[in-house]
Amino acid sequence: MPIREKRRSALVLAGLTAFHVLLISIQVPRGAEKSLFERSVFFLFSPVQRAVSGGVRGVESLWNGYIDLRGVRSENQKLKKDIFFLNQDLRFLEDRLRFFRSEAQLRENLADFRGTIVPARVIGVDSANPNQSIVIDKGRLDGVGKDMAVCDRFGYLVGRTIEPVSLKETMVQLITDKDSSVSVVSAVDRLTGSMTGRSDPVCELRYVLASVTGGRPGEELLTTGYDKIYPPGIRVGRIQSLEKDEASPIFRRILAAPYFRFNTIDVVAVLTERPGGGG
Amino acid sequence: MRESVAKDVLRAFLATLAAVLVYSVAGGAGPALLVVLNAFSVVVLYFSVRRGEVFGALLGTMCGLVQDTFSLGVFGVAGLTKTLLGFWTGYISRRIDVAPFARNALFMLVMSVLEMALWVLITAVVRQGSVNWHGGLVLLQPLVTAVLGSSLFALERRIRARSSRGA
Repeated sequence: MPIREKRRSALVLAGLTAFHVLLISIQVPRGAEKSLFERSVFFLFSPVQRAVSGGVRGVESLWNGYIDLRGVRSENQKLKKDIFFLNQDLRFLEDRLRFFRSEAQLRENLADFRGTIVPARVIGVDSANPNQSIVIDKGRLDGVGKDMAVCDRFGYLVGRTIEPVSLKETMVQLITDKDSSVSVVSAVDRLTGSMTGRSDPVCELRYVLASVTGGRPGEELLTTGYDKIYPPGIRVGRIQSLEKDEASPIFRRILAAPYFRFNTIDVVAVLTERPGGGG
Repeated sequence: MRESVAKDVLRAFLATLAAVLVYSVAGGAGPALLVVLNAFSVVVLYFSVRRGEVFGALLGTMCGLVQDTFSLGVFGVAGLTKTLLGFWTGYISRRIDVAPFARNALFMLVMSVLEMALWVLITAVVRQGSVNWHGGLVLLQPLVTAVLGSSLFALERRIRARSSRGA
């Protein structure tokens, strides 16, 4: 290799390395807003992800809807049976709810609630760690913005929208991410704390004082709404274990398992209304 | 010279698009697949061996930054590791013969392991505690990358041999 070419290669490597080191160093400590550069790259490449996801879905739908129809009849019968039981459940729940509120009030609340949900499809999973974030196919044009709660199809909390939010795509920080924090309360013993991710499938319930008693494995955790991001009352997960924290004697060490599963977040709901009415 | 750089940038852009394509398909198949398959690394390794260190470094930068965009990690970590991966893969492959399948696979395995070690090291420094081993599953990533990368070369050779026989 001629010396000139060698020098050129070394210069390219040095330039690119310096660029990356600079890029990393301006973000540490982490927490700053996403840079214009990062947003631009997301804006440029997220439509590709969306197109691929759409294409794969199209092929899947062609296969499932026109070719692979084995078992449809039995599935249909099973679904009819499920609908019957679900209708019974619904009727029972509506009766119970009417016990507390007037019907007019109930209808009004349900109508309000429907208007604030934006259904979205998941088109991408975090490239470094699937427990950190996902990308959905709704963006500013659909009324989605930063810091909106995202739930799965069963109403369990999945996470919140974060930057970058482009015209038709948005990144969602999962509650299992290390930097995620949700204010929660346990359903029975009213333990209040902050459910924080660990970038793995299990979360931690932090800031519950060691002097506070109560709480048991399996107890459900609900959002409190104190963080002004997640509306109160959304089901988040359940307590997995409680023990003394050897590292910090002030607080208890509580592990919590989120309800949402990756196989149920192909479709999610973005709640565009924030607690307190901000949209 | 300027023309060749412009062509290289365009090629790197197209190769990055290919990586996003593979990444999106893999992501649709299941998050666990993304843990063992890093489409961006496969693309960087393949094109770096074919086109040398400068192209490898440029492609590494583009693929790495795109990978960072689709992740909540610190923006630039994958960019830096893939730039170094692309450069050194291109540089070394110009000096040793990596054409035979076994040698090619071993070379890619070594480079992928080095890339992963560097990524873990930098991530541990800039974002403490965020390295997740997924129960050891992530350690399969270099192996899968090496097998896929060398299979691409084997496939390419077979197609070329068949077309030359046909001609």
